[in-house]
Amino acid sequence: MSTVFPKSQRRLLSAAIFASLLPSLPITAHAADLGSSEACQALQTKYPQFKGKTLVDAINPHTPGYEALDPKDPSKYIGLDIDLAESLGSCLGFKVTYKPVAFAALLPTLQSGQADLIISDIYATKERAKAADFITYSKVFDGVLVAKGNPKKITGINLSLCGTTAAENTGFVEVPLVQNLGPQCKAAGKPVPQLQLYDNNASCIQAILAGRADTYINDVNTVDQAVKAYPDKLSKATAVTLPYHIGIGVSKTNPELRDAIVLALTEIQKSGLQLELMKKWGLDQGAIEAPTIISVK
Amino acid sequence: MDLFFHYLTMDYLLKGIVLTLEVTALGLVGGFAIGIVLAAMLLSRHRLISVVARAYTVIFRGTPLILQMVFVYDALPHLGIMLSAMIAGGVALALNEAPFIAEILRSGIRGVDHGQSAAGQALGMSSFVLMRRIIAPQAIRTMIPAFGNEGVNALKNSSLASFISVQELTLRSTQLASSTFDFFSVFFASGLLYLMLTGGVSAIQLFAERALDLDRPRGKGTLLQYFLPWRNYSAEAQPTKTSSGSDEAEMSELLVAPTREARIARLADLAKGPIAVEIQDITKSYGARQVFGELNLQVRTGEIVALLGPSGSGKSTLLRCINRLETWDSGDVLIGGHRVGYSSGGMVLSPSEVARQRVEVGVGMLFQHFNLFAHLTAAENIAGPLRWVHGWSQEAAAQRTQELLDRVGLGDRGDALPRHLSGGQQQRVAIARAIAPGAKLLLLDEPTSALDPEMVGEVLDVIRRLAIEEKLTMIISTHQLRFAEEVADRVIFLTDGHIVEDGPAHEVLSQPRNPLTARFIRVMSSGQTSALAL
Repeated sequence: MSTVFPKSQRRLLSAAIFASLLPSLPITAHAADLGSSEACQALQTKYPQFKGKTLVDAINPHTPGYEALDPKDPSKYIGLDIDLAESLGSCLGFKVTYKPVAFAALLPTLQSGQADLIISDIYATKERAKAADFITYSKVFDGVLVAKGNPKKITGINLSLCGTTAAENTGFVEVPLVQNLGPQCKAAGKPVPQLQLYDNNASCIQAILAGRADTYINDVNTVDQAVKAYPDKLSKATAVTLPYHIGIGVSKTNPELRDAIVLALTEIQKSGLQLELMKKWGLDQGAIEAPTIISVK
Repeated sequence: MDLFFHYLTMDYLLKGIVLTLEVTALGLVGGFAIGIVLAAMLLSRHRLISVVARAYTVIFRGTPLILQMVFVYDALPHLGIMLSAMIAGGVALALNEAPFIAEILRSGIRGVDHGQSAAGQALGMSSFVLMRRIIAPQAIRTMIPAFGNEGVNALKNSSLASFISVQELTLRSTQLASSTFDFFSVFFASGLLYLMLTGGVSAIQLFAERALDLDRPRGKGTLLQYFLPWRNYSAEAQPTKTSSGSDEAEMSELLVAPTREARIARLADLAKGPIAVEIQDITKSYGARQVFGELNLQVRTGEIVALLGPSGSGKSTLLRCINRLETWDSGDVLIGGHRVGYSSGGMVLSPSEVARQRVEVGVGMLFQHFNLFAHLTAAENIAGPLRWVHGWSQEAAAQRTQELLDRVGLGDRGDALPRHLSGGQQQRVAIARAIAPGAKLLLLDEPTSALDPEMVGEVLDVIRRLAIEEKLTMIISTHQLRFAEEVADRVIFLTDGHIVEDGPAHEVLSQPRNPLTARFIRVMSSGQTSALAL
């Protein structure tokens, strides 16, 4: 019975995680302050319907940095998205419980009313905005996770993917992009790329470690976390891609919650809390984006 | 390795086991509840009900559990039914388990020998009593291994509830692996935890199999008796004395052939008595083949009628019609003036109502293959129906049972299971069982034809004594000509569903008028001398 991760590295990783947790005390204090701030008090008066309530946040907790179990206390979830949800709750006066589901089940869970919001490193695309309203909070680029040394010389979702196998999660925005490469590869006289679909981040990483897939393309922060965990086995290929907007999903039947979140998020960004949180979680590759509603009828 | 042990004993994963067990329990309990209903529907006599149940089975057995889980969790809320994740998972698992459990129940029930239910019906058991006392206890033994399988399946299938956010063992393991990157340690630990749970299910299965093993030696106050109260008989009614083989002298006295005058006097007496059984113009066909075409027969109270005839002549079917174990197409059967199978208002009776009617008119039946209840001791075969059908007290039933066992020469074998008795002994217990409630009419369907030749005598002796002592009305289908001549007042010769000869036993057997009867008697007597050498 062995672990994939050598012990020495584990200790390093634990140290890193521990170190990253250190500043959490002042930040928590900061989050508490937020709720008593004038702006948040005003919001609680404006939106009394959320005060004292418990909202359900659907997450796919397999993305350390954004949302994953706390390895020290697995009864808790930790990450940027969790802190953000708690901050929103603190500002608007609600408590948050988390509902872990497969990535592809995030939107159906919201639509069926089993959750009130989604804060789970999900890209706010036009397609998804047909199923839910999104409020953006971060802009990020895709990263390309490959085996150490990038043996297949993959440089992104382009002709370098022809003839390789990509691991992705069901429902990821990258899935149709990889599929659309098929005709281009054929036109160039190359074999089409293959797709393996999983339901969480960890399975995609395992697919590369096991040699089943050549690449996993996801947001650059997630890719960085994987490389940090397996520095001997994985690396990030340089890639140039379009930016994506990470958003908070809210049911279309609940426009007041959407509007309240826009306002609360604006306060959070104004107070500098979001920037602190992103630093805390090592998500330095993402840029803060002012809250914008993405909604498609 | 230490990581493995770390995860194996981690509180977070152990709590996941609790949720895994909760979903599994919901699935199995709900699955059983729905499964029992479904099995009853599948076995229903009403076609519409069984078709509905079959459609359910096809749908829920034929679609993946994961889709059912997602449906219950994500689609039902659109219809206004919002279940918690745990309940949704449990409900989906129950809906999915139900058809599998129903099929196990159905095959277990159908696997119980048909003769067991025929005997139960003949003893007047309602469908419920028959199921509870006879079919279910026997079926459950054969079903336990399949239930063990189903338990293990449900436990493993509960992991699919992870897809709808139930924080059970699988979901906890995958999340833990994602956050710690310790994939293999976490999954080996969770695999071992699952193995321990399924091992527990296997242990329960083996325990249940052992507890229900009828051949296991038992003592007073064991766990076994706690679980099998129907086997407690021996503790309550001690056998008093043995009487087997003690009646040789008495028997031979009874065997002295009656004089011609005595016979004529008895026939005259009987002719004056009321009619016990009347068959009026009954017809019956199996498809194109006619079994009876307007058959008529009257039997007087106290009369002993032997039905003779070649195989396939309709003897057994006629007996089974008389107590409505079979239906007929037209005509009527009356016992003591009651129209068998119909209410006084002329409505067709349900199987349970027919059972009640058998009790009311006092008809008992003896079968070619004895049909003793295989899971009950000899004594309980007799005492059980007295309590369940006739409402006798424990003590009264036990006393009557012992008295009857003594009379059939098995006073010391009350505790024996049918399979540990010889064929002759089994048939003697069956006779005691049939007359125990005080039957007035006894139908005997070839009572000795399944017996080894050396056992025929002991059973015929018991029947002879009954005929003399109990003054029962009896209709016996038999191939034993000498027995028929000794015991029967009247012989009826049946061929192709028609009565071709009907008259005083001695007359018909010594001077048959119909050539078919004559030939049959000739053939039978040449082949039977050995069997009749008592």
